[in-house]
Amino acid sequence: MNLSRRNRIFLFLLVVLLPVIAIWHLFSGHIEIDGTTFWNALTAYNGNELQHIVVWELRIPRMLTALIAGAGLSVAGLLMQTLFNNPLAGPYVLGINSGASLFVALAIMAGIPMLSSDLGLVANALIGAFLFGLIIVFFSSVVRQQISLLLIGLMLGSFTSAIVSVLQSASGLQELKLFTLWALGSLESVTLEQLPILFAALGITILGGYLVVKPLNLLVLGTSEASMLGVRMKRVRLLIILITAVITGIVTAFCGPIAFVGLAVPNLIRIVMKTQNHAYLLLGSLLTGAIFLLICDIIVQNLQGHFPMPINALTSLIGAPFVILLVLRRLR
Amino acid sequence: MIQSKGLHIGYSVKLLEVEDLNLGAGVYILIGKNGSGKSTFLKTLTGSIPAFSGKILLNNTSIHTIPKSELPKKIAFVQTQFPVVDFLKVAEYIALGRSPHTAFFGKLSPHDKEMVQNALETLDIQHLSNRFTNQLSDGERQMVAIARTFAQGTDVIALDEPTAFLDYQNKAEIIRKLLELGRNHRKCIILSSHDIDQSVQSGADFLAINQTTGKIAHYPSGTTKAFLLEKAFQQK
Repeated sequence: MNLSRRNRIFLFLLVVLLPVIAIWHLFSGHIEIDGTTFWNALTAYNGNELQHIVVWELRIPRMLTALIAGAGLSVAGLLMQTLFNNPLAGPYVLGINSGASLFVALAIMAGIPMLSSDLGLVANALIGAFLFGLIIVFFSSVVRQQISLLLIGLMLGSFTSAIVSVLQSASGLQELKLFTLWALGSLESVTLEQLPILFAALGITILGGYLVVKPLNLLVLGTSEASMLGVRMKRVRLLIILITAVITGIVTAFCGPIAFVGLAVPNLIRIVMKTQNHAYLLLGSLLTGAIFLLICDIIVQNLQGHFPMPINALTSLIGAPFVILLVLRRLR
Repeated sequence: MIQSKGLHIGYSVKLLEVEDLNLGAGVYILIGKNGSGKSTFLKTLTGSIPAFSGKILLNNTSIHTIPKSELPKKIAFVQTQFPVVDFLKVAEYIALGRSPHTAFFGKLSPHDKEMVQNALETLDIQHLSNRFTNQLSDGERQMVAIARTFAQGTDVIALDEPTAFLDYQNKAEIIRKLLELGRNHRKCIILSSHDIDQSVQSGADFLAINQTTGKIAHYPSGTTKAFLLEKAFQQK
């Protein structure tokens, strides 16, 4: 499975495009910052200059957050789609986001553990994501048809949103606002100090993804063929769920539930690259996911002031029609 | 090559008793009615599921002592349903048969590539090499699946109903190819089928499941249809 010339060019374009979009993202936003000021902020930081503070406290963390969240969620989606042999799988559809949301809701509104610290929130989201990941793994070993698994994922989503509704109606105004803002999704709440956590999560995701490249390439044949060709299903399944839970849990904790990135990007990449070699699909998804979320966030920032557009709403607005197209394409 | 001793098969209850087998290179057609346990037998023989009791020996080693990562180097299995996968080319699919032999990232060595090329040539499907697997006809799919097992380089190849969806000519072609592999490449090939007429004409040996006695027994090639029906199915 060599990399075709076409795909080599495609990946090269993505590698070039990513820094361009990232820089464009750095210069988007309310406060005008020109190139010279930006450079000064990087090289000769002055804590009294508002623009310097904006660069370090807002622009850089937000850009890196978008990049990491987009890349990480896309890889998570790719792993899930291949594991469950289903193009509609993804952390969002299978309810792994819901798990993270539920536990964050419990933390914020029911005051269960450690609301005060961000790490507490992250821990909650992680536990939620992992727990729901395990539930999905359990059901995936019980149900034969993949469509049932998607239904179960959707039901898990409905179930948790019902619990969240109950929590919402019972909670005070302050908590309600806090949770609602979190649920709308935002890439701006991550601070410079928190970025290492996100980086670590992305690192684990990429490393983990490449660790399972060979099993992934076999899993496209289905779990029984893969295991007859020597894939240790239990181990691989657990590893993939762990990776997905880590990245989904951490991104969801910091940025809220960002929908559809993990679903749409890997599908798009498969269609464009026309390959099943996951070494390349991983790279393609990683880069495209980062670019996609950066662009979405540039749109969000440009709309700000005219029209409030939460990032989660925008990714859904783009992602939902895409999924419909995908389903129609498969029906043909 | 493959031997069984005191073998009983079944998931949680004993389903069938297998008369002690000693299968060398060649083609063995497993015949039995639908639901008689053909798939269970093949899965047990290939180590996909444990035996109910008894032993299966592969070149004098019990297959249950062979590590899970080593078994696919010795035994290949083709399921009835060819996996439908978008964007997977025939050559890439066949190359996946090399994965039990490849290192951690699954990179193909020159020897692996040679094995893939060999498989394409042996099965006469070089012309399909760059086609996507979901654009193949049923007959082509079976050829490609067999090529994958050939690339896998195993001594034993088991195929679950490889001719199930094929017309008469394609069936004959598949069986002819399998006989050729068994003869020229010294492989032990076991396939299941419920088409007695064509199986009898093929010149292969038989493994017949008798549901009345619950036994599987080996019959040599040349066994007549009438004999098989009577002995194996106890029908007159």
